[in-house]
Amino acid sequence: MSKKVLLAEDERNVILGVRTCLDAVGYQIEIVEDGEEALNSIRKEHPDLILLDLLMPKVDGFEVLKEVKGNNDTKNIPVIVLTAKAEEEDRQRAMDLGADSYMTKPFKPQELWDLLKHYLPEME
Amino acid sequence: MKLSNSPVPVNLDTIANNLADPVFLVDRNKSVVWLNQKAGELFNTDSKSAEGKIVTELTGITKLDNLLEDVFEQEAELKCSYEEASVKVKRMDQRYFFKIAINPVFHEGELWGGLVQFTDVTRFHEMEKIKTDFVSIVSHEFRTPLTTIIVGVEMLKEGMLGDLTPRGKEVLEAIGADCERLSRLIDNLMELSRIESGTIYIEAEPTDVSDLVQEAVRPLKFQAEKQGVELITDLPPNLPPVAADFNKAVWVLTNLVGNALRYTDPEGTISVRVRQRGKRLFFSVEDTGCGIPKDQQEKIFRKYIQVSGEGRKGSGGVGLGLAIAKDIVMAHGGEIWVDSEVGKGTTFTFTFPVYQGEGSVTLPEIEQEGG
Repeated sequence: MSKKVLLAEDERNVILGVRTCLDAVGYQIEIVEDGEEALNSIRKEHPDLILLDLLMPKVDGFEVLKEVKGNNDTKNIPVIVLTAKAEEEDRQRAMDLGADSYMTKPFKPQELWDLLKHYLPEME
Repeated sequence: MKLSNSPVPVNLDTIANNLADPVFLVDRNKSVVWLNQKAGELFNTDSKSAEGKIVTELTGITKLDNLLEDVFEQEAELKCSYEEASVKVKRMDQRYFFKIAINPVFHEGELWGGLVQFTDVTRFHEMEKIKTDFVSIVSHEFRTPLTTIIVGVEMLKEGMLGDLTPRGKEVLEAIGADCERLSRLIDNLMELSRIESGTIYIEAEPTDVSDLVQEAVRPLKFQAEKQGVELITDLPPNLPPVAADFNKAVWVLTNLVGNALRYTDPEGTISVRVRQRGKRLFFSVEDTGCGIPKDQQEKIFRKYIQVSGEGRKGSGGVGLGLAIAKDIVMAHGGEIWVDSEVGKGTTFTFTFPVYQGEGSVTLPEIEQEGG
């Protein structure tokens, strides 16, 4: 059974880029475009991994991170922050909130694949 | 001297008491001998009450002790980093930044005392903050579209979106390489804007050395593992806190370790060490990499210089990392240098000051007595 990745990202082009990356290696992907949708989706069904943008409408990535990591049911889901926010403070804040990894945009597909392999090792 | 037409005597009293900056005259024991009106206003005192008091206690600015000692010892005007000579002062919820200048005063050939002058640089700090915020927003805006481009190009290059002609592949390689350059530029944009304007704005706080090293090394552990390079940290226990701007200090270390990773082969080792010597902490990043030729060693801290190793892939950068690192280290009052031997390895070392005490002070509330 292929792994399910939840992508929370509001920029259409980035969605296309990440989806293409994930399709290429056979992950199942669900896409949400704001934090509120993200939380709804997670409540409905736990993804195997979350790719989280920080700047999203309605509920931002930090809030989603806080909720996911603050909840016993979901705190073990790996969360990779994928963001254009490159300041140290942002990274620190995300890591403090429990993010498993922090990747700044732009990134190369290989970087994303390496991280995914690291957190979802059962994929071939 | 009195100009016949002037109602106001043109003498030193008039001038000194209308200076925009607070000024203190202190003797060899750092006791206040005289202060101007502005100094009295800022520190809520006057000539009568201030006379004879130690200026450090009167103002609450503890770094004045060290700064005055330096001037008295050298018998020359204060020469130190911008950060060392700066003090943040809070007064009634307002934040001010002052830069301290001290000149030695001689009497009959002997060192007698010093003239301490505070220059209000608050506006300057505010401008820097505005510029920093602007640059931060701009560089952030560049990252998102660049992501689409880079991801797309990579996938096209790898043939994952259909077959390519050899020429097609070539063109995509070129696009990819230039995107990488843009990406590095954006990463460095913030620091670049500061180097270009000749200023660097840091706020030093007491910082735990092991926190700093952990934070710098953490993002690179994964990369080191992937490359088969051993990354070790060597910190003795009980190191005192360092006076540093945390983010910038982390940046310097991360930059040096990142460089080391670029030039060290699998099975190699990178060691991050910290040692204390007196009032300074020595940070060193040592690798077993390819080394830097002697003739290049002095050039590497300059802007836009990159060392080409044998068959090394270019880092895709623009050669700013070390120039920025040097800028940051020097703004902290430290030094940075390199020891290297081709074929053996390289060690970059930089110093930061041990945290000596409050770099900022909160002034007592000023009581307004009828304006």
